[in-house]
Amino acid sequence: MLKSSVLKNSSQKSPLSAMQTIGSIGKTSEKRQSSSLAVALPLTSLIDAFSIIVIYLLIGTQSATVEPKISGQLQLPVAEAGQQLTDEMPIVRIEKGVYFVDDEAVSVAQLGNKLASLKQKLQKDDIQIMIQADQKMNYADLDPLLRAGSAAGIQKLKFAVIPNK
Amino acid sequence: MKKELNFEINILPILDILSVLICFLLLTAVWVQIGTLDTRQALGDNSVNGAVNPPSLWIGVATNGTLKISLRDVKSVSGSQDAIVNSSGSGIDWKAFNQKIDSLHLQIPELKTVVISPEAKANYGDVIRLMDQLKQKQLTDIGLSPLG
Repeated sequence: MLKSSVLKNSSQKSPLSAMQTIGSIGKTSEKRQSSSLAVALPLTSLIDAFSIIVIYLLIGTQSATVEPKISGQLQLPVAEAGQQLTDEMPIVRIEKGVYFVDDEAVSVAQLGNKLASLKQKLQKDDIQIMIQADQKMNYADLDPLLRAGSAAGIQKLKFAVIPNK
Repeated sequence: MKKELNFEINILPILDILSVLICFLLLTAVWVQIGTLDTRQALGDNSVNGAVNPPSLWIGVATNGTLKISLRDVKSVSGSQDAIVNSSGSGIDWKAFNQKIDSLHLQIPELKTVVISPEAKANYGDVIRLMDQLKQKQLTDIGLSPLG
């Protein structure tokens, strides 16, 4: 067995331990600095930076609005007069000619029935649906949805856009 | 005996808490904000015999970006107000369209209803931008017409 370990002779004092406290005494910190050759991290300025990041994240990225899922393949159109989302609602997504009602693929023939059953399920007369579609899509792809919505008695359509601030 | 009045604050736990907080906020942050443009579609049972229709603006959108503008149920303006806004070559001529809407809005301030009737190959992004421009001009009741 080894009687003398390398670890025994190594410094057991972390450079962080010298800086982990904010003290008002100049003597102690001077004393610690002289005894340790390691470069100490300026933790106080690190805390300042972290605090700023936390405040930025709290203010800049949080909102009281609803956050709907968006497919990564869709490039939503940009609009200035867009309104903020306040309520949860069914989402109809049109992706390369395929219709998804709340992430469930639905054929064009079944679209009207699906929307009608959705309206019945929600038990509301004036339900509104959100339409997510790519900005490069042809209007012809939207047409079956308009017809199905009218057949199901849905008046309010909300087109998802990226607000241009 | 001299009493020690100075004290030291341990800042490592604060650093830990801030790190955890940053991770939590990064994971739960809403990075992409979504807005909506609202339309109100006409249903078959909306029309009532004898009901007076409000003045409305009909805009046809051709595939090449040409806009056909016409007015319906307007009594205060004499003469035809139909107009065509030609394509700019690369799509809709937004400047000419905005000028036309401004002049119509000046003549008919009560105009609020718009029906957009695009062709099958018209670009969806252009239709949405059209709706956006109209909303900005206080033409708030916008409907989309299905293909004929």
